[in-house]
Amino acid sequence: MMRLTVEEVGRGLHPSEAVVAVKTAEGHERLVVSRRSIVNSSIEVGWPLGHRDDLCLVELPRETQTGAWRVWVHKDQLTEVEERMHA
Amino acid sequence: MILTDREIQISLSRRQIVIDPPPQPQAYSSTSVDLTLDAVLTLFEKGADYVKKVIDPTHPDYDIDRALEEVTRTETIDAKTGYDLPAKHLVLGWTAEYVHLPIDARLAARVEGKSSLARLGLGVHITAPTIHAGFDGQIRLEILNHGPFPITIKPGMRICQLIFEQTLGTPERGYQGMFAGQTSATK
Repeated sequence: MMRLTVEEVGRGLHPSEAVVAVKTAEGHERLVVSRRSIVNSSIEVGWPLGHRDDLCLVELPRETQTGAWRVWVHKDQLTEVEERMHA
Repeated sequence: MILTDREIQISLSRRQIVIDPPPQPQAYSSTSVDLTLDAVLTLFEKGADYVKKVIDPTHPDYDIDRALEEVTRTETIDAKTGYDLPAKHLVLGWTAEYVHLPIDARLAARVEGKSSLARLGLGVHITAPTIHAGFDGQIRLEILNHGPFPITIKPGMRICQLIFEQTLGTPERGYQGMFAGQTSATK
């Protein structure tokens, strides 16, 4: 499984949530995630769904503010992990 | 295919589904498991009558989280007195339980209301009931009182039920490298 680097940019409406920003090929996407899912400033995204040059298509764990699920990200933002990391 | 109570329990024991804290035996029905309400609610504030608020989701600077912060306040409701949700009002709430569906678990879930509350007019989601594989967190609920009277909601009450469904195959992102992009028909 791969983990995607994210930046925490705000708190969610519930104490268990955080708003994170994902750097994409087109700019940034923001989404609400569980704080438990953030480990070392990254979230689990499974395996890439496609590749294009240095970009990978990944599916985020929740819908972004713009309604997107899948985004193109630079491959440097992805880290492969053996098993799911628990916060 | 909808999972039965027995299949849900097997999936929990194999950690193909994570619910924390785990459901009590009485939380199950034949094909669902009940979740309870967390104490934190987000309440919408209309302001004074002369304040007119309009949210434009098509605006280029639209930011849903900032918008919600501006028109809501967060309140932790008392376990004994609860919160009287006025008629025709919406609040955002959460399940007390943390839920995780692993990406490769071949499972998805739907949040549904409780018929005992629906009869009073209480709904728990607005058109977005699917919990996708890979979901991780407490489930956000859009709690709407469609009924004619205020309804008291309290932390710990049975607020919704989860119905688990087996998916046909594993989503693409659950497959590693060389298998990505194939459909179930090509495997």
